[in-house]
Amino acid sequence: MTCYRNHQTLFGLCLLLFLFTSPLLATENQTDQECFESRDGMSQVRVREISPGLVNVKCSSTTGGVLWWGDPFAGTIPMGDMDIEADYSNEEAVVKPREPELDKNKMLTICSMACHDGNYVPIPHSKTPRPLKMHLDTVPDAMNLKHGKGNIWCLDCHHLVERTKLIDNFGYSISFNQPQKLCGKCHGQVYRAWRDGLHGKRIGMWDKGGKKRWWVCTECHNPHDVEQKERNSGFAQLRPEPAPNLPKGMVNANHERMHHGSHPDETGHE
Amino acid sequence: MRFLQFVVDYLKAGFTGGLLFWAWMLFLLFFIMLWGYGEYVQIANGMIVTNLNDQVSWGFYLANFVFMVGVAAAAVTVVFPAYVYKHKELHRIVVLGEMIAIAAVVMCLLFVIAHMGRPDRLWHLLPVIGIFNFPHAMLTWDVIVLNGYLLLNIIGGYYYLYKKYSGGEINKSFYLPVVYIAIVWALSIHTVTAFLINTMPARPMWFHSMMPIKFITTAFAAGPSLIIVVFLLVRRFTPMKIADEAFHLLSQIVVWCLGIALFLTMSEIVTELYPATEHSLGLQYLMFGHNGLNSLVPFFWTALSLMVGSFILLLIPRIRKNLTLLPFICIAAFIGIWVEKGMGLMLPGVIPTPVGEFAEYTPSHIELMVVGGIWAIGFFLLTFMLKGAVAVLQGEVRYRTESSKQAVSEQQAEAAT
Amino acid sequence: MPKQDSSKTKDNKLTSRRDFLRSAGNYTVASLSGAAMLLSDPKPAKANVTWEEHFQKNYRLMTDEEKQQAIERLETRYSEEYGKQVTVDGTPSIEGVLFGYALNIQKCIGCRRCVKACVAENNQSRGDEQQIEWIRVLRMEKGKFSETDRDQHGYPESFGVQVGGNAYKPAGVVLEGQHYYEPEQVPEKDAFYFPMQCMQCEKPPCVKVCPVRTTYRDPDGIVVIDYNWCIGCRMCIGACPYWARRFNWGEPNLPKEEMNPVTHYLGNRPRMKGVVEKCSFCVQRTRKGRWTACVEVCPVGARKFGNLLDPNSEIRKVLAKKKVFRLRADLNTYPKFFYYMD
Repeated sequence: MTCYRNHQTLFGLCLLLFLFTSPLLATENQTDQECFESRDGMSQVRVREISPGLVNVKCSSTTGGVLWWGDPFAGTIPMGDMDIEADYSNEEAVVKPREPELDKNKMLTICSMACHDGNYVPIPHSKTPRPLKMHLDTVPDAMNLKHGKGNIWCLDCHHLVERTKLIDNFGYSISFNQPQKLCGKCHGQVYRAWRDGLHGKRIGMWDKGGKKRWWVCTECHNPHDVEQKERNSGFAQLRPEPAPNLPKGMVNANHERMHHGSHPDETGHE
Repeated sequence: MRFLQFVVDYLKAGFTGGLLFWAWMLFLLFFIMLWGYGEYVQIANGMIVTNLNDQVSWGFYLANFVFMVGVAAAAVTVVFPAYVYKHKELHRIVVLGEMIAIAAVVMCLLFVIAHMGRPDRLWHLLPVIGIFNFPHAMLTWDVIVLNGYLLLNIIGGYYYLYKKYSGGEINKSFYLPVVYIAIVWALSIHTVTAFLINTMPARPMWFHSMMPIKFITTAFAAGPSLIIVVFLLVRRFTPMKIADEAFHLLSQIVVWCLGIALFLTMSEIVTELYPATEHSLGLQYLMFGHNGLNSLVPFFWTALSLMVGSFILLLIPRIRKNLTLLPFICIAAFIGIWVEKGMGLMLPGVIPTPVGEFAEYTPSHIELMVVGGIWAIGFFLLTFMLKGAVAVLQGEVRYRTESSKQAVSEQQAEAAT
Repeated sequence: MPKQDSSKTKDNKLTSRRDFLRSAGNYTVASLSGAAMLLSDPKPAKANVTWEEHFQKNYRLMTDEEKQQAIERLETRYSEEYGKQVTVDGTPSIEGVLFGYALNIQKCIGCRRCVKACVAENNQSRGDEQQIEWIRVLRMEKGKFSETDRDQHGYPESFGVQVGGNAYKPAGVVLEGQHYYEPEQVPEKDAFYFPMQCMQCEKPPCVKVCPVRTTYRDPDGIVVIDYNWCIGCRMCIGACPYWARRFNWGEPNLPKEEMNPVTHYLGNRPRMKGVVEKCSFCVQRTRKGRWTACVEVCPVGARKFGNLLDPNSEIRKVLAKKKVFRLRADLNTYPKFFYYMD
């Protein structure tokens, strides 16, 4: 389903390809198909059978988005310490580890060990942001750091010497699997809402004491360009699932695209 | 024994007739077969063979149902003057009105069954073995009043005919209460049918308290129109004598009720369209269409013209009393009300949907077959019942003991030689 | 599949269930009234509906034993029909739970994934001939008011009625929503989205009008339907102000491989033609503690669900902390489906 990554230029081509291959795609949920959970391209999951007749996820045949979790906790790890509200502190909280997703080609690990040890590449003294062309392979948004509108730079979030980690206010490292600890540094209100279960998403058991898989910040937001350029929205645009079938006897839905009032001749309001 | 004889004789009389009669019955039978086929296809495949859908889930069947309930109720326009105002001419033919009511209620029940997704589960409604959600569900009220009305008319009509047949005295302390209850009951069937649909705020087109009275006035215009036509046919094709006076009274009822109905229609239109809120979208769709969806528009204006036209014509006494012209005006009024009160009421009630979706609907072939067939069943029943009733009323068919029968046959034999 | 709890209760049931089936044998007699339907059915592999199923009582009035028998009948039939082990659950309401739902219309991006997730979970009919979706997402205009865009000749309008030049510019009006929007990408700049489904009213008009009480409110607040008792009169469809109910016009089309075998009697078990269905808050999941399919799938976390009686539940937190409204509050239906904004 790589077709649906945000390569605008390839979109038309992909659409063509999609049209040709859609009859094949319609037989959905073949195992080993790759889908995305929330962020297309950054929250991938492969369809596999977890028990006879039961798949871990069912995916949309038209958009490649995950539609249904056969096992909401497949591939998760304990979330680790978090000051959850007292009443729910005995709940089992798990997360999908972000590290395997972010470090698919292992470059992050290699770079961290080989170069960014604090000696080979010294810790920069200047905090002035500058383009980092050589990191485009590991960080596709390296040239496009919009987060903070120029007021923060890489090492405000990334650890100085451990590139596989993030950094907290005291200089201690934070795992990529727990970005909420980093984001919560500035976005305290959102962090509180997230802890309450109001912001963001959880799946699994709704009931008190039930096991929950928590979505962490970077599963939905792109930390380097949270607001999606000029869109001023934290969530990237997606291709929607197809519209419902028209009611029997209707050939199109043109009538609902006209503006209010019965003036079919005056459609040029746009 | 005597009663069995009555049934046999009545059936015989009902199915005796000339070439025209049999041609008419065969013609109806053809449509009844179509009904059978349509119902079979619908039961076998589900209601997907209709053009109903989730947007327009009430359509042609219920439109006809609502209309026919009115026709059934309208039998009261014959019964009421006959018994309350002691109208002599109508009193003689009151039974014929009851026959029309019986046929109409049977049609209503068939329309409801056609509308149901699971007619095989009808027994779920029966008290004791099923659940009858009374008094909460308005539909249960409708079940009671419709079946009750059917029963009252069968009892009232056939008790009277049976007594005529067997030559007994009518027991007034039994018969009159039945008649008076039936008069009130007639109003109740149409009132409850109006309540069935006007108690749903989800459907603003229907959600107004004028609905019951509008139902009754349109019913008392359409019903007597049909009764006038039927009675004229009876007068023409049977020896039954129906005085002109009876028609004059009925046509007066038609014109007044039609006038009130038109007044109510106008009130509704002004009330809805003056502020033109979103609650009036259904009515606007009916009258003017919506963004190019305007399949109902010609029907509405045709129906309105028919109603207004026949009202104006009937206002003129010379035309109203002209019994050659009257049936045609009555047919025009009948069709006008059938469209306006049937599909013209049902569809804008469900279009747009409560969440504002517009979808156009035209009945499918199966729906047309079923509805046409039910009308044919109605006319078939009516023809048979009227023929039998006329024969009884005229005294052609009456109870005879074995000896008297013999005497009659001897007489006939003599006459033949 | 809430595995921890469901599997434990299921295993010990299975053995007794099989014994029962063996003793009952293949006692399948088509009922008189249903005979025509069954005989005319074109699908050959279809498992027969048993005589007992045709003449069973309304689910609400069954004894526990009768419920168990009804469930077993269905499990056999469905398993045969769909070629896999299908379970039908009969879990009643949980004590002390009243389900509530909240949807953040500020967050919703209109991607319709909830619609499709619901279909995957709840075994609705699919395909061109009969497509049933319990959730409908409306696209609302945000409204554009600009100097250049003014409809000057609309003032005054025909008949001399005074109408402002922008009177016909819709902005977020429910009845002007678009149902069939299909842009390349959502959310669009000039629109927001409004998903609707069954509101699980506390005073449900659909329940009131049902002549056979086949639809009723269970103690946990879910308005459920016994599909085997529904007579298909569609009064409930007429009475619902939220257009939440759907009808099986024909025999539902549910491909075997797409069928979700974990079902509840009052929820997502396969339906038959001629009956009404609607959202049941995924009763097969929620009574086992699992979130509904639409809550889980929403990629932006706009959907919140929980126990209204628990002050610490996320639904109660939404009610406490956000600006909340109910749809068509004027109708006094008291929905337990809330809309909110941050």
